[in-house]
Amino acid sequence: MNAAGHERITIIGGGASGVLLAVHLLRQPSSDLRVTLVERRGQFGQGVAYSARQRDHRVNVPARGMSAFADDPGHFYRWLQQTGEPLPDGDYTFVPRRLYGRYLEDVLREAAALRPGRLQVLSEEVLAIRQNPSGTDVALANGTSIAGHVGVLAVGHETQPARSRGIAVRVGADDDTPIDPYAKVMILGSGLSMVDAWIALAEADHRGPILVVSRNGLLPRGHRDVPPISIDAADVPFGTNLGYIMRWFRALVRETQAAGGDWRSVVDGLRPYNQRIWQSWSERTRRQFLRHVRPFWNVHRHRVPPHLHQRMVDAVASGQVTLIAGHFLDVSRHEDMARATIRRRGLPAEATETIDVARVYDCGGVSVDVRASSNPVIRDLVASGAARPDALNIGLDVTTTCDVIPAEGAVSGRLFAVGPLTRGRFFEIEAIPDIRVQCATLARRLATGS
Amino acid sequence: MLTRKGKYGLKALVHLSQVPEGQLAFVGDIARENNIPKKFLDAILGELRNAGFVYSRKGKLGGYCLARPAEEIRIGHVVRVLDGPLAPFPCASKTRYQPCEDCDVETCQVRRVMLDVRNAIAEVLDNTSLVAMQAAGGPEAFASAQIRA
Repeated sequence: MNAAGHERITIIGGGASGVLLAVHLLRQPSSDLRVTLVERRGQFGQGVAYSARQRDHRVNVPARGMSAFADDPGHFYRWLQQTGEPLPDGDYTFVPRRLYGRYLEDVLREAAALRPGRLQVLSEEVLAIRQNPSGTDVALANGTSIAGHVGVLAVGHETQPARSRGIAVRVGADDDTPIDPYAKVMILGSGLSMVDAWIALAEADHRGPILVVSRNGLLPRGHRDVPPISIDAADVPFGTNLGYIMRWFRALVRETQAAGGDWRSVVDGLRPYNQRIWQSWSERTRRQFLRHVRPFWNVHRHRVPPHLHQRMVDAVASGQVTLIAGHFLDVSRHEDMARATIRRRGLPAEATETIDVARVYDCGGVSVDVRASSNPVIRDLVASGAARPDALNIGLDVTTTCDVIPAEGAVSGRLFAVGPLTRGRFFEIEAIPDIRVQCATLARRLATGS
Repeated sequence: MLTRKGKYGLKALVHLSQVPEGQLAFVGDIARENNIPKKFLDAILGELRNAGFVYSRKGKLGGYCLARPAEEIRIGHVVRVLDGPLAPFPCASKTRYQPCEDCDVETCQVRRVMLDVRNAIAEVLDNTSLVAMQAAGGPEAFASAQIRA
């Protein structure tokens, strides 16, 4: 093993972020890199997001935004054209999500072919990653280990619902067994995962009432094919408090709309600066944003394809879906039902309500307490002090260059993290357009050693 | 470009960055020591408070202090709040865009260069904290240091 440089890189997790990092590493001009990609599911590019099976589990970004490479935005669309899949709206088509998993697999295969012998893929469960003076040692469930110079955590989304008590389930998980189509069910959350849960029910021809409980009772908005407005960094008020930037943002939306434009153009125009805005804020401002603005921001920022949005609106209008603004407090088992306790928004603390449902889908809170992660690698790193939760406790603490920050002392330069786990620092790091940039940047750094 | 308002605001913030933690600075003192008209300074500090850069306490013993550590406050962030989007020409701002009467935006070569200029300005100002500016010896010294560099 070579003590200097970053020749052997072990990536833990073969979902979208792990695959994108591997691909960007293999495409680096430096030929010294060897990449080992370890994924417990044995399928690459198909993490929580891109393994969805339902026809209407669509990628929530049009095809033109989903290339694996920021500097070649048409890459995914060209791949789609070769597959012969129907593309009714050209590069504005929202394709089924499993197709995207296949695309990532192909991209990985191509990158590997570019560098014969440089990529090793392993279908194994990782138990722990330890750092030593010469590099990293990744312990596998089969008793062996992988030695390398650098380890990257790309473990993606938390797979266990945080509020479940073993009762609430994630859509499509093994414990999401078939239910009586006329039963009442509850979905927690107002984000895209909530829409996924609803789609899964709709596809299964569920006829019973669906209660959707979220803090504000909101629905994600629908996409519209409008161009983002052009904004330069010099226009954006970084580093202010929340009130100031919200006033600025609303004024910009008003002006854009007054000129005949669409609010989506402002939300999308600001996107290149979202991470910088987040990083420019004080911890207090970030906290306030999470508490007061995030629900509203998310429904405008993370939108669904127009036809799905219309179907959801119709389902609400027909009464099949009921939106409840309120707090989910608890769930317990009651005979063969789940008894959920909620409190509607604006009611006093004692005004709780219990509702018996056949199933509770937990689609809220992608932010996780890493100390209680269901992933042993993350739990072990935090317990040993090699990593720590970020200040807001929504992910793992990393630097702006993706170095994992230990509980004490300086970063090692040998342990990195990419993808949703880094949301404390990067905030919007759950969609491909953001992850591909993060991976390309880290790949460049690992390849050049600077 | 940097107006007197922006310059005074930066001077006031540098002044506040030197006040020991937990103490407040009086507006009168800041104005006198930095040669800023007090009424103007009142208005400037009001705007900085609205944007979250300073805290204030009213009353006889009232005054101002920084709302964030000086190393977190970037001078570009302050200038945007006081002087608007960083733009060498009005037509070079995207969000506060004002067209010139005498030329066509699409073909104006001057504007294109000025867009690059403003991005370069933003880059420098956003990478410079109050602490760094203070170390450089105040706004004027910093500006000339940048020009020499």
